[in-house]
Amino acid sequence: MRKNKAMIFWFCLPAVLSLLIMFVYPVCRTVLMSFFRVESLTAGLGDWSFFGLGNYSKIFSSQSFRTAMSNMVVIWLVGGLITLALALLMSVVLTSGIRGKKFFRAAIYMPNIISAVALATMWIQYIFQYDYGLLNAIVTTLGMEKVKWLGSDMKFWTMTASFIFGSVGYYMLIYISGIEGIPQDLYEAATLDGASKVQQFFRLTLPLLKGVIKTSITFWSINATTFFLWSKMFSPIDTEESTIVPVIYLYDMVFGGKGVVNRDAGAGAAVGVVLTLLIIAVYVITNRLFKKTDLEY
Amino acid sequence: MKKGTNAYRPRINWKKEARLLPGYLIVVLWVVFTAVMLFWILGASLSTSREIFSGHVLKFESGLHWENYATAWQVQNVSVFFGNSLLYSVISCAGVLAISAPAAYVLSRWKFRGGAALRIGLVVAMSVPIIMVIMPIYSLAVQWGIKGRLLLILLYIMMRVPYTTIYLLDFFSTLSRSYEEAAYLDGCSGPKTFLKIMLPLVQPAVVTVTIFNFMSVWNEFFMALIFTSSESMTPVGVGLLNIINSMKYTGNYGGMFAAVIIVFLPTFLLYIFMSEKIIAGVTGGGVKG
Amino acid sequence: MKKILSLILASVMVLALLAGCGGGNNNKNSGGQDAGGNNSQNDAGAQNPDNQDGGSGKQYDGVELTMWSMWNSDEPQGQVIQEAIAAFEEQTGAKISVEWKGRSINEILSASLESGEKFDIFEDDYQRIANIYKDYTYDLTDMAAAVNYDSFSYPCFNNTVIGWAGFLNSIAEQPQVGGIFYDKDAFATAGVTAEPKTWSEFLDVCQKLKDAGIAPIAQDSAYADFAFYHQLVRHLGEDAITDLDANGGWADSEGAVAAAQEIIDLVNAGYFADGAPDEYPSSQNKIGFGQAAMIVCANYVTAEVNNATGTQVNWGLFNYPAVEGGAEPTAAYAGTNSLAVTKYSANPQAAFDFIMFLTTGEFDQKMADTAAQIPADTRNTAPSTLNGTIETLLSADSTMTWCNGFNARDDLKTSVKSTIVELYEGKFATGEDFCKALDALY
Repeated sequence: MRKNKAMIFWFCLPAVLSLLIMFVYPVCRTVLMSFFRVESLTAGLGDWSFFGLGNYSKIFSSQSFRTAMSNMVVIWLVGGLITLALALLMSVVLTSGIRGKKFFRAAIYMPNIISAVALATMWIQYIFQYDYGLLNAIVTTLGMEKVKWLGSDMKFWTMTASFIFGSVGYYMLIYISGIEGIPQDLYEAATLDGASKVQQFFRLTLPLLKGVIKTSITFWSINATTFFLWSKMFSPIDTEESTIVPVIYLYDMVFGGKGVVNRDAGAGAAVGVVLTLLIIAVYVITNRLFKKTDLEY
Repeated sequence: MKKGTNAYRPRINWKKEARLLPGYLIVVLWVVFTAVMLFWILGASLSTSREIFSGHVLKFESGLHWENYATAWQVQNVSVFFGNSLLYSVISCAGVLAISAPAAYVLSRWKFRGGAALRIGLVVAMSVPIIMVIMPIYSLAVQWGIKGRLLLILLYIMMRVPYTTIYLLDFFSTLSRSYEEAAYLDGCSGPKTFLKIMLPLVQPAVVTVTIFNFMSVWNEFFMALIFTSSESMTPVGVGLLNIINSMKYTGNYGGMFAAVIIVFLPTFLLYIFMSEKIIAGVTGGGVKG
Repeated sequence: MKKILSLILASVMVLALLAGCGGGNNNKNSGGQDAGGNNSQNDAGAQNPDNQDGGSGKQYDGVELTMWSMWNSDEPQGQVIQEAIAAFEEQTGAKISVEWKGRSINEILSASLESGEKFDIFEDDYQRIANIYKDYTYDLTDMAAAVNYDSFSYPCFNNTVIGWAGFLNSIAEQPQVGGIFYDKDAFATAGVTAEPKTWSEFLDVCQKLKDAGIAPIAQDSAYADFAFYHQLVRHLGEDAITDLDANGGWADSEGAVAAAQEIIDLVNAGYFADGAPDEYPSSQNKIGFGQAAMIVCANYVTAEVNNATGTQVNWGLFNYPAVEGGAEPTAAYAGTNSLAVTKYSANPQAAFDFIMFLTTGEFDQKMADTAAQIPADTRNTAPSTLNGTIETLLSADSTMTWCNGFNARDDLKTSVKSTIVELYEGKFATGEDFCKALDALY
């Protein structure tokens, strides 16, 4: 087939441009900005003054940012383990030959398609509500004292739990498609060899899902680092220590949350860079861990 | 759609079903929980604040309060929010396709200078957190005076380009080259071949990825929060937050839940009919490990 | 249901705000004089600065203004604003479109002003307008002088604004006073006859209420800092708080330790409503449902609760009780939601005229009556429920800000507030523990 250079050029140009405008330029500018003292986002390059690592030391010496980071890490690690484990469990159940697979699959994925604002409202205003909420109704039926699910010590976990509920479906779908990609005859052979279902899962399914799990970890890392809306929903009036995450910290600092007097776009950029570095680190580490021991089938 | 499949199923094998019982239990519990939540919200949306607070939801002692829906709809202009979301979603979906499909096609067909770089760039861009790009975009937008709807649509389009291109690229690569060769022999030009022959061939993929794009633009929150300054351009997600806050301040909890249902229902109905396609959009293409 | 609230609030505003408000002295008298001759509600036209131009209306034909409101369209305040806009449009020919941003307006104003969003008038707390947005606000000094604004406004607000911002950059719209708001009927049920003036009297009241089966105090976590700020101010005064907030050393401050201990005692005695500190507005609504009796807040809480719960609570207000040996026994919160004009507005005069239209005469009176607010125009009359508040504010001397002392350290604000919420949750065994937890932040 002949190579049509003009066509290649014109067909690629819009994609290249949008990549440059939407990703390359902004990322470069954000990285650059993180080394400068920039008060306002709209300040021109002329108003920037070089600050070295000043922004980084500023954010890391800030109590709020450290809390935000540790919250995020917990969401990433604990939330991630639970979400991915639940998703794996669901996907194994759904591919085990149960009836109504399509229905269950659609129902479990459903929270992903509705607006997170609506979903979070359901959790906050119903499930965790103190006076008439579902959990407290269950708790009182069991004869126990009502629990303050949205109190400052529980809030973080209730927020994480509802976030997990909303996320499981997505990873479940990824795992299902991974499992369905494994040839059936491998299982038949394993069954003939006398391997139990549990053995099959650990010896066969899990190793063959390595690639998919790697992808899901990367996706989860992106989701956890850009965690924003749920935190906003769970602390609607003021930013709270129990739910603060780096993006909320950045948002307050850059766009001037309630009562923030000294805005600091440079420090905001530094937050962005730190998060991106984290994602890259996770990506590199998972790649290492899941190195080409991939089995071929 | 495929009613026939059930007919060919073997009879219920009770032994097998019993073995699967724990599995059933897990998914049924999960789904029942979701259903309880939704039904309660639906019930609450038809109750008064007093009934909600005294735990009398779903008893409807004072009748069904449909007026909650009227209040929720009127207090902020919900139809405007829906209109905006529809506008943003439709235009950006079309825009993304116009940019991504041609690029995906040539990337899948020819090796050329910069092609590999572009491909890598697209894959990397899929993992760039949005906060890395939002700040410079904000200042650019202010500098160039691009605002409101146009800005949001442009951003949504460019944001979806990497995923869409990679997704379509995979599908174009599976197509045999014989189509183009035949077209070439018939004197069909490159662009024309693309439009008339190749694009229709990947139509299923186009539909799937478009549904997926549609959903993600429809539910987008962060950029909409930052880049919409007026109600007239607010999409559903941010609009719903406004309504919820407004209902909370005025103590109209019934209205708040009604607002949640109003926003939830259209997507839910759409989902009932298109869940297969939507799910295919998630698991296909770029997601594979 | 008619929104006119038949509140009967304590006529005795024991705010103990003494005479004289710094530089505003000479204006104070003229304000008083005006109030005598200009009490009618129907003379909005006379106050409308338009008339000075001699135009009989339609002078702003073709002028378009955009206003960002901190209310929602279905709140009483929002409804009065809509009526005022309709009347102003009718009279002057200007077109005003309003965006109901709600309370979250304070999260978007900074960035929106900076990027030059097209709006002319905005509403927010005067403290924020003067401190945070001042570079983007129009200097209203001359326009205010032209209508003799000083003669019918509160010097304490104007002077504070000028003190913070350097010039008059906002016009008071909904003045507020704070203290402890309570349900008089609940007090009567519990056999409480007098409003408490000291901390020990306050504890007695709490016990009586509790014995009567009514939760004494409602508390939402959103206001936890405001409530605790009162306690601190009584012990230390505002300047000392600013100092502590900036430098730490809470545990070494006897006042801070005592204040925290008193709150812990309240918690341990079971004086807070079930679920407190709750998610706003769950706890404050408990007063409307008859489940709680008192709340530390500003006067808008009365309208909010009535509106939210569909009841007409028999509201009363008393000043936050004095503590023994405290540095500041009387100061009460006074503040205002104000209106400002953006610096880049194309029609500042029209914007200012509308602000005047809304905050004086007929519509100010309407705002005061419908939303149970203190009038911004001192010539108007406060709703009977807020009797005496105008005079109190006019003579305001020692007022308290909205937690300004906690603003000394931007980076610690979130942590400080969270620690205070934990204090109300009963997480600390002693006041000392609480203060140490605060010090650990530094």
